[in-house]
Amino acid sequence: MSIKLEQLCKTYNVDTDFPVHAVNHLDLEIKQGEFVAVMGPSGSGKTTLLNMLGGIDTPTSGKVLIDDNNILELHDKQLIAFRRDNIGFIFQDYSLLPVLTALENVEFVMQLQGHSEEECRKRATDLLIRVGLAEHLHKRPAKLSGGQQQRVAVARALAPSPKFVMADEPTANLDAKSTAELLDIMQQLNEQEGTTFIFSTHDPRVISRAKRVIVFEDGLKKEDTIQAESP
Amino acid sequence: MLLKLAWRNLWRNKLRTSIVLGAMVFGLVGVTLMIGFMNGMMDNMISNAINWQTSHLQVHQKDYSADPEIHKTISRSSQLQVQLDKMTQIKTWASRHLAQGMIASARSTRGITINGIDLQKEALITPLAQNIYDGFWLDDKGRNPILVSKKIAQRLKLRVGSKVVLTFTNKNGDVSGAAFRVRGLFKTPSSAFDEMNVFVRKADLKVLSGIEGDHEIALLVNDIKQLESVKRKIHVALAQSDSVQNWEELQPMLAAMSASMASSNIIILVIFVLAMGFGIVNILLMSVFERTCEFGVLMAVGMQKHKILQLILLESTFLGVVGATLGLLCSLAALSILKVTGISLSSLADGLSAMGLDTLLYPKVSGSDFALIFITVVLASSLAGLYPARQILKQEPAQAMSEKH
Repeated sequence: MSIKLEQLCKTYNVDTDFPVHAVNHLDLEIKQGEFVAVMGPSGSGKTTLLNMLGGIDTPTSGKVLIDDNNILELHDKQLIAFRRDNIGFIFQDYSLLPVLTALENVEFVMQLQGHSEEECRKRATDLLIRVGLAEHLHKRPAKLSGGQQQRVAVARALAPSPKFVMADEPTANLDAKSTAELLDIMQQLNEQEGTTFIFSTHDPRVISRAKRVIVFEDGLKKEDTIQAESP
Repeated sequence: MLLKLAWRNLWRNKLRTSIVLGAMVFGLVGVTLMIGFMNGMMDNMISNAINWQTSHLQVHQKDYSADPEIHKTISRSSQLQVQLDKMTQIKTWASRHLAQGMIASARSTRGITINGIDLQKEALITPLAQNIYDGFWLDDKGRNPILVSKKIAQRLKLRVGSKVVLTFTNKNGDVSGAAFRVRGLFKTPSSAFDEMNVFVRKADLKVLSGIEGDHEIALLVNDIKQLESVKRKIHVALAQSDSVQNWEELQPMLAAMSASMASSNIIILVIFVLAMGFGIVNILLMSVFERTCEFGVLMAVGMQKHKILQLILLESTFLGVVGATLGLLCSLAALSILKVTGISLSSLADGLSAMGLDTLLYPKVSGSDFALIFITVVLASSLAGLYPARQILKQEPAQAMSEKH
């Protein structure tokens, strides 16, 4: 499964004298199993790009093709179901549900897919153990550190077994140790399960681990390089 | 999970939820007590009217109520009374000989209805015998004893032992009258009734009017549910010139007030529910808008919009259920206290008496009233979630997620 963008544009303030082109006629293809970092300064359009890749924002023009099917032609309900089953999201501010425990946060997205309670409980527990939170299953987000919350977010993103994970500046609020641990986990999942990770970041720690780095500026792709694997 | 999420969301901001619940509880207690007070007032008016004035049923000559002339007596009264004795559904009955006339003291004169009563039977059908304010209930002793109300006594400057003169038209159309001596003073809950009625022995009045027979037979039934069937039976036993009426026909204004009571209770409830509904919408808007980003995340991770609608409606429904339950429990507690103590309105005694009301009222709220209040509040609360939900569902996930709080 691959994602292909064709002449993708996102323009804000369209009807004004000062339109802002967050993404400007972008062509891009990301194949399954890639570990991609989209880097660029603040306001360069990274988040907008990730949102459109993940189908949570609508482009002004262009196509988002997943296996040659334009997801923009899907009905609202179909698009939500598509996202639910194929795309995981990790956000800079973790965006966990504060009233649910770590385990419940992960279970919840699986329940949206219609899995049984038992199945959800088992997979959510496994994932949380895998991201190193075996001791914190029943804690609410407020009782967890930033790094721990982001790990819950990773487990949540992976719970529905998505093909792609969109991570919007996932390490922005984390210290060096938490960042390294989180990247280890994501890299491991990418290598072992073939999950595609697409990061928006300007964190050199993330960029150094990425297999492919896309430099984005003023809505345009400036560079697209494949990095040599680190030893 | 949706239920769990909705319930926990409700308690995210405990202070805010508690304030809304507090407002709902106070409002509901107020509404319930208001409804209870109105019901209690109406019940009291009806029971007083039945106990003191109309009984459950009354038999008259057909046009007696419109034109109460002394010769309009009930046909075959004594045969009817025999039949009434045989009807097991009838608790008791009493016949009356009535005359429209004047009562005069040395000080003043007033127009009144002279009730010639059967002493034993009357004591069973109305509480008059037990409510002699001063003096004694009538008995066979003495010549022409009379019971007058406290109100008439005040107007005519009478006391027990005073002499009054009753005048009225007899069967020949001549003015007839006699002197009576006040045996006792009574007081009923209705000042209007008190101002218009005096009671004498039936035999004394018959002698003066020169008319045999009765003008009125009042009846009480054992079971109010059987009222209409008893009425039909009596109707069959009556001569064509006579009629039997239930208390609603005898007191049409009271019946109309009673019938409109349900509507006025609903109006009170609707006003409360509307005010509460706006309050809940306001709170839910705040609660939902401060979580816009969170709803964006839920949409992003694949929660269908109808599920988000369900979540918000569940939150508002929970709020309604908790508020209505607490409100009704507090109302029950308040009602159980007031059912013992009553609501004393003695400072309004004159006004209440004009309406036939006691000064101590007991609120009454039926199970169906409670159910109606509960259902209406929960329903209104649930519906109040629709508008905030609509505002959220209009947004795209990315747009919603960009809203920071």
